[in-house]
Amino acid sequence: MFRLLQTLSWRHVRRHQLRTALTFLGIALGVAVIVAIAMVNRSLTSSFQSTIEQIAGKAVLQVANGESGINESLFSVIRDTPGVQDAAAAVEGFLPVSGKRGERLYVYGVDLLTDFAIRDHQFAGSGFAFDQALDFIAQPDSVALTESFARRLHLPIGAQITLATARGKQNYTVRALLKEEGTARVFGGNFALMDLPAAQRSFGKEGKLDIIDLTVEEGAKIETVQQRLKSRLAGAAEVERPKKRGEQIESLLISFRVGLFFVSLIALFVGFFLIYNTVSVSVIQRRREIGTLRCLGMRRGELLRLILAEALILAVIGSLAGSLFGWLLAQAALVAVGQTVADLFTVVDLAAGSFTLKELGLALVSGIAVTVFAALHPAWEAIHVSPLESARQTAWRPRSRARRSWATALAIFCFLLSPTLIFLSPSLQGPVEKFSVGVIGMLVFLLVLAFLCPLVINYGVKWFWQSAVQLPGHSWVEARLASDSLRRNPARSGITVATLVISLAAIFTIAAFVNSVRGSLLAWVDQMVTADLIVSSGARTAGPRNVPLTEEPSPNFRHLPGVKIVDLYRLIRSTYQGKPILIESFSARESASVRNLPMAAGDGKRALREMGEGKGVIISESFQSRFSKNANEVVELSTPSGSIAFKILGVYVDYSSDAGSVLIDRASYKKYWRDELVDAFDLWLEPGADQAAVIKRIKDDYGEKYQLFISTHRELKDAVVRIMEQSFVVNYAVEIVAVVVAIFSVINTLLASILDRIREIGVLRAIGATQAQVRRIVVLEAGWMGFLGGLLGLFAGTIMAYHHVVYNTKFLTGWTFQFYYPYGVAILSLVASVVLCLMAGYGPAKQAAARPIVTAIGYE
Amino acid sequence: MIRCIDVRKVYRQGQNEITALAGITLDITKGEFTVIMGPSGSGKSTLLHLIGGLDRPTSGDVLVDQRLISQMADDQVTLFRRTKIGFVFQFFNLLPTLTALENVTLPLVLDGRAKAEADQKSEFLLAKVGLEQRKNHLPEELSGGEIQRIAIARALAFNPPILLADEPTGNLDSKTGESVLALLRQINRDDGCTVVIVTHSREAACHGDRKIFLRDGSVEKDGC
Repeated sequence: MFRLLQTLSWRHVRRHQLRTALTFLGIALGVAVIVAIAMVNRSLTSSFQSTIEQIAGKAVLQVANGESGINESLFSVIRDTPGVQDAAAAVEGFLPVSGKRGERLYVYGVDLLTDFAIRDHQFAGSGFAFDQALDFIAQPDSVALTESFARRLHLPIGAQITLATARGKQNYTVRALLKEEGTARVFGGNFALMDLPAAQRSFGKEGKLDIIDLTVEEGAKIETVQQRLKSRLAGAAEVERPKKRGEQIESLLISFRVGLFFVSLIALFVGFFLIYNTVSVSVIQRRREIGTLRCLGMRRGELLRLILAEALILAVIGSLAGSLFGWLLAQAALVAVGQTVADLFTVVDLAAGSFTLKELGLALVSGIAVTVFAALHPAWEAIHVSPLESARQTAWRPRSRARRSWATALAIFCFLLSPTLIFLSPSLQGPVEKFSVGVIGMLVFLLVLAFLCPLVINYGVKWFWQSAVQLPGHSWVEARLASDSLRRNPARSGITVATLVISLAAIFTIAAFVNSVRGSLLAWVDQMVTADLIVSSGARTAGPRNVPLTEEPSPNFRHLPGVKIVDLYRLIRSTYQGKPILIESFSARESASVRNLPMAAGDGKRALREMGEGKGVIISESFQSRFSKNANEVVELSTPSGSIAFKILGVYVDYSSDAGSVLIDRASYKKYWRDELVDAFDLWLEPGADQAAVIKRIKDDYGEKYQLFISTHRELKDAVVRIMEQSFVVNYAVEIVAVVVAIFSVINTLLASILDRIREIGVLRAIGATQAQVRRIVVLEAGWMGFLGGLLGLFAGTIMAYHHVVYNTKFLTGWTFQFYYPYGVAILSLVASVVLCLMAGYGPAKQAAARPIVTAIGYE
Repeated sequence: MIRCIDVRKVYRQGQNEITALAGITLDITKGEFTVIMGPSGSGKSTLLHLIGGLDRPTSGDVLVDQRLISQMADDQVTLFRRTKIGFVFQFFNLLPTLTALENVTLPLVLDGRAKAEADQKSEFLLAKVGLEQRKNHLPEELSGGEIQRIAIARALAFNPPILLADEPTGNLDSKTGESVLALLRQINRDDGCTVVIVTHSREAACHGDRKIFLRDGSVEKDGC
């Protein structure tokens, strides 16, 4: 076998480098995308765990209540619970560094005198003894930075650093430097330590704690202590193991990660067809050689093993290359994903790190499995090549009728399987399961069309030909020969058209999904955000990046000329039934008259009025879907004041998070959550008011003190769209992969088609066809493929997109998006499919036309 | 009608040079039925290809109908070949997906003639070769002799002054081959078409007015 690989296979590879490169590319691309996304997903999960574990230190239990915080008065209750050995409280969060664009510090505020029992802070220099700690604590503006951060920003001990806090810009003095060990390693060294009260003031969380870390006494059972604490706290906070907290945050990203995973599958799917195409063509090219081998006595089994061994070797090399390429791709993807996650979910410390054995294994398994599976059918065809092939002189191959039957049979099977899966998916437990089965159902539907391609080519092209449509600038014989060539080998042409269908369907589905999300999101922003100006700090949109402010500016905003209504918006992360949710609040009393809540169930005006009267809350669709709660039911929320029951007044559309949101009036929020911070000030102006003047006034009055973002309604919409577009960067990358693969498939098939009819082309040239006429025939063939692939791809993409937008996304996120059909993309896709194929056909066409006639006819 | 002046053709295969034609000079006059014979590798097919403009000589000149085709650009010689030279090969003559009629119309269609005109002319040519009743059949439905006859009909699409045939009977049984040769002879006599055929067959050679024997790329004998 090795000898044969060396003499036959290797020489064939060397002779047909382009074809080998195409097969290699198909494997490498598909594997690269799978590996890159696996690395990104791993990084996402491990980064949370790693951050939490590093910060948790020796803690075995953590008491927290999302961003709601824990009432400080509960600290002693917790510390004194039997079984608890040490308790260390902390306040944490990100604060932008003023004057340094894009720089943010993760500020960790602790009681330095007690925190060492839980965490190990390594101070640089001669150590951080008790006296130094006292001195640090005594100065309310003290901050300790990591050595790397201090070095990067030229901040030695004694230097000043300005941070944008809840009270505006505040100056802090660097009084210690931390070695980058233990907790200080998080977020790439952008870590700062403060005394607890100073941090509470910075975040506007006086009287509150974000987290209390606990160790338990030796011999005490952690679960017992946990139960004890839960019953003492009575819903005022959650008590979890540190790992569980990480899992809770990870669960925020499930839909995002699942989406990424299925996008990567598309790349592999498309890569499969490219590999099938190139291996098929290779078999055709070696038909005579195979016939000779059979003549000389090579058995079918030996031939099969030879071809599969070739595929296997290529698969291994391609997979290894794909792994390397995937690692590179992951670095780029992490930047995009990190940005998206930080904008939408939480700031995360992402780093791909080194390649794991698991990912290498994934690369090899996926690459080898896809390649060998793709090579099976061509290998099967090869072993049925007659030994007479070596002596055969026929110029053309008879039309392959038998091959169509298996493709049609598979199409029928998939046609029955696809709706079964699609109808089954809603009845499954769990959003991920529903989504996954729904996606698989759609992919199977795509396979229906792929398997029907040979039939479509045969009858579709024939019908078109028989309808005698005249193509301008072409004689009937050019169009006729082009279509005959396609129909002569419908299996081969069908595979290429199928590749085009799949690529185009994938592209269109993504485009339609993005278009629908964009359209729905913009319509939602228009309804949800009716304010003329939105004033925030740290970021334009409320979320992980912005800095909550105190209510201080609010009265002055109200008195600004031209300002009619000022409302205060707050958004915090909390938990419900152990899963992350959002709590949103604004003053319905103040702004109900100018707000227009988009509702999924119930009357928005009535719900807002009742919410303003403190009669209940409004939940989002995602919350409804995730927790099976509906209007007029009761929901018990964990607050710093204890567990409080609220009536559900209605269900609103909310795209800010698929974790689920609860909307509550600000008065109720302040009462139960004891939080007066504000994420954004919404300003409604009087009709005819000078918006620019109001903006200028705010900047003049508060620009120096606060790091403000003043957004118009339009600017906010743009920011929302930008964040959304960013989240689809990986999808767009896969689209490009799909297009590249499709084009290569077309080139490959045309080269094979030309090989099959070299002599025919020679005769055509001999009887007087010019090179241009021969080129046109081949290019037209490519155009046919582009047209059929484009049309079918558009059809498939439309159906898939509709299902994905309206049903599948709802299963995973609870969101209902409106389906916005991207007509422009549809037309462009079809035109691009034809044009790209015509262009792809030009190279093979030129090759076919330029071949010397005598060589083509095949004389000695 | 056809003139070759010291025509040489050398092929390169890696490091090796193969001299297919070693300097041939000959004249074929209008209306002649010439047979080129010789053993395998003698260069007879190569000579035919050069006369037909399918290939270029390494050196020397080829004039057909007083046109120096060996120096023409590809498009120029293609157009010349389309209307002035008819070709018949040993096999792969017809395009397999076109009917007999469509195959015959092919040169006319390539030249941009209207479909009606092309069809009418082609039906006439098919009748001339006695196969008008097979006009709607595909090549796979035709016998070898029928295929060759249709190829001859196609070659006559533009009433070319020259008809070249490379082993036209090589794939046929003797009786069918004889009928094909008889057809070529008839065309030569009735239309005044200059016919040049390459053959191994002595029986085929008997039809020729002139026989040119090639060996090792040179003319060994040239006579009747």
